[in-house]
Amino acid sequence: MKRMRTLAGISILALVLAACSSGTTDTAAETTAAALDDSNCAAAESFCVGLVTDIGKVDDKSFNQSAWEGAQAAAAEVGGFAKYIETTDTKDYAANMKQFTDKSYDVIVTVGFLMAEASVAAAKENPNTKFIGVDQFQAEEVANLTGLIFPEDQAGYAAGYLAGLLTKTNKLGQVLGLEIAPVQKFAKGFEAGATAANAAVKVTTVYHPPADNGFGDPVWGAAEAKKQLSQGADIIFGAGGGTGNGALIEIAKAEGAGTSIFCIGVDTDQWGTVPEAQPCLVTSAMKGLVEGTSDLVKAAFDGSIKGGNFNGTTGLADYHDLAAAVSADIQAKVAEIVAGLKDGSIMTGVTL
Amino acid sequence: MTITESKKEKDLGFFVRNQSIVVPIVAIFVAFVLGGILISLQGVNPLVAYRAIFSEAWFDSDGLLRTFQKTTPLVLAGLAVTVALRIGLFNIGAQGQLISAALASALAGIYITNLPPILHVIVSLVCGVVVGALWAAIAGLLKAYRGVHEVISTIMLNSIAVGILDYLVSNPFREPDQSLQRTKKIAESAILPNFGVIPFGFILAILVCLLVSWMLNRTTAGFRFNTVGKNKFAASYAGINMKLMIVTGMLLSGGLAGLGGAIETLGITYRFEPAFNSGLGFDGITIALLARSNPLATIPAAILVGTLRAGGASLQFNTGIEPEIVDVLLAITLLLVSAPILAKFLFKGKAQKTANVTSGWGS
Repeated sequence: MKRMRTLAGISILALVLAACSSGTTDTAAETTAAALDDSNCAAAESFCVGLVTDIGKVDDKSFNQSAWEGAQAAAAEVGGFAKYIETTDTKDYAANMKQFTDKSYDVIVTVGFLMAEASVAAAKENPNTKFIGVDQFQAEEVANLTGLIFPEDQAGYAAGYLAGLLTKTNKLGQVLGLEIAPVQKFAKGFEAGATAANAAVKVTTVYHPPADNGFGDPVWGAAEAKKQLSQGADIIFGAGGGTGNGALIEIAKAEGAGTSIFCIGVDTDQWGTVPEAQPCLVTSAMKGLVEGTSDLVKAAFDGSIKGGNFNGTTGLADYHDLAAAVSADIQAKVAEIVAGLKDGSIMTGVTL
Repeated sequence: MTITESKKEKDLGFFVRNQSIVVPIVAIFVAFVLGGILISLQGVNPLVAYRAIFSEAWFDSDGLLRTFQKTTPLVLAGLAVTVALRIGLFNIGAQGQLISAALASALAGIYITNLPPILHVIVSLVCGVVVGALWAAIAGLLKAYRGVHEVISTIMLNSIAVGILDYLVSNPFREPDQSLQRTKKIAESAILPNFGVIPFGFILAILVCLLVSWMLNRTTAGFRFNTVGKNKFAASYAGINMKLMIVTGMLLSGGLAGLGGAIETLGITYRFEPAFNSGLGFDGITIALLARSNPLATIPAAILVGTLRAGGASLQFNTGIEPEIVDVLLAITLLLVSAPILAKFLFKGKAQKTANVTSGWGS
C-alpha cells in the first residue's frame, strides 16, 4: 500500500510540475522572428508558410534543412509566419499537409521528390493554397503548384570533372540515396563529368535499396564508402541526406584523407553543415535550395508565382582548406567547366 | 502485524489477481507522466501536448479514420506475435511475413483480373495470408527438424524478405515509366472499402482477434497450444506432436501477420512500395508484450499505439514537440511491462513471474 502511495505521490508531483510550466508557452513551434502566430492565417493581411518534410528531419544538414531555411528566411523577410511538420510515415503526407490547409495557410512547401504525387493531389483539393514542391518535376501544370527543380546533372558534372582530374587511382565512387530522378541526375552528371575529364576513369555507383530510410541511413552509407575505399576508389561522391553524410564522415576518417583520399558533398556546402567531413571534403555539388525556396515563397507572397516548373541554380562549393590539394591548373580547368555549363556551351548529355 | 498484513492483502487482492491488467495500465500512466516531464522540459504544457494527440486521433473524422487504419495492421501483427508466444516461440519475423504478404496481395490485386469485387478482395487477402504463413513456416520447419532457434531464423528471414522484395519490385513487377521502385496500383475490384471512419480491414482484424481468442481458450487446438507453452516436455510426454505444433504455430502466426500486410495493401496503400509497412511487424512485438500474450488485449494495446502514431503530426503542428516523443512513451511503457520492476514494486512477493516470453533458448 505504501508503495502505491509513493507512486501516486510521484505522479501527482509530476502533474503539478507539468501544470506549473503551462504558463510559459502553449504553442511553441519553430517560429520566425516575426511576432506572429497562425491563429489568423485566413486573414488577408497575414502570410503563413507551412513546410512538410519528407521522411527526414529539418536539421538533416542538407536537403530538408536548406528548404526550411529558405522558407523561414522568406517568411521573415515579408513579415510572415513559418512552421514545419516532419513526416515519420510515408502514408502521412496528405494528413500532414492537411494540418496546414485546415488552418488556411497561404503557402505549403513540400520537400522532396517522394511527395510529388501527394502534393499534386493536395493542390487540386485546395485551389486557394499555393503549393511549392521542392524537387518535384511537374509533367502537367497545376495552377497553384510550382515544382522547384534543379539541373543536378550540371553540379554533378562539375564535381565529376574535378574528381576525374584529381584521382590518382582512376577509380571513383558514389554513395547515393534512393534511385530517384534528382539523385540519378547528380550521379549521371558525375559520371559524365569524370569521363570527360579523364577517359581512363572508372566510377562505382551504389544507390540505397528502396526503403523509408533511403536518405537517413548513415550506417549503410559508411559501410558502402568503406567498401569503395578498399576497392581503391580515392574520391567518393556522397549524395543522399544522412546516408551520404555517413559516407563522408567515414571517408574523413580514412588514412590519407585530404592528401590522397577525398570526398565530395551534396546539396549545400557541407564544409559548414558536416564539419566532421572537413578532413576529406574537397567541395560540394550544391543546389540552390535555400535561394530557390525563398524566391518562390516570396513570389507566392507578391502573387507573381506561376504553376509548372521553376528552375533553381546549381554550382560547386568552395575548396576551403583543401584548396592547397587542388593544383591551380585543375582549379582553372574546373572553373572553365562551371562557366561553360552556366552559359550552355557545355552540355552534360544526361538524360533519364 | 499479521492482521494488518492480511487486511492489506485483502485490499490489494483485486489488483494482485488482475495484475496482468493493472501493470500495463500503471505502466502507461507512468510513461505518460515521465513523457510529460520531458515535454515540459521543452517548454510545452504536457496536457496541451497530449490533448493535441488525442483530439486529432479521436475527435477529427480524418484523424479517427487514420487511427483505425494504423491500428489494424498492429492488431494483427500483435496477434501474430502473441500466438507464437503462446507455444513459447518468439516470432521476431512478423515484419518479413507482413511485407512479403503485402507484395503478394498487391500482385494478386494487380494481375488477377475479371473477378467480381468481393471475390477479388478475398482472393487477394488469401494470397497474402498464404505467403505470410509460408514465409513463417520456413522458420517453423527449421526449428522443428533442425533445431534452429526461431529468433535467429526469423531475424534472418526478415532480411532475406527485404532483399527479395527489393529485387522483385525493382525489376519484374516495377511500375513502368516510374522512377520509384514500386508496383502498379491494384485494380478497383481489389480495394477494401471504408465505412465512414471505420475501415473494413479494422472490422476484419477485430473478428480475427475474437476468433483467435476463442481458438486459444475454448478449443482442443488451443489447449494444445497452451500446454506446449506452459511446459513442452510435459506436453511431449502427454503425446502432443511437438514438431507439428511448432510448424502449425508458425503457420498461424505468419498467416496473421500476412493478413495485416494484405489489409494494409488493399485498404490503404493500394500498391506495394518498400517504404510502406516499415516497422509494423516490430510494433507487433511491442503490442504482444504490452498485451501480455492475451489475444483480446492486443486490441486496446494496438489502439494505443495507433492513436499515438496518428496524433503525432498534430502534436508537432500544435506544440512543436517532435513526433518521436511517441516512441519514447512506448519504450518506457514496454520497459516497465516487460521488466518485472513495476510488478515487484507494486506487489512485492505477490508479483507474477514475468510474462512468458519464450520457453527457453537453445532448445
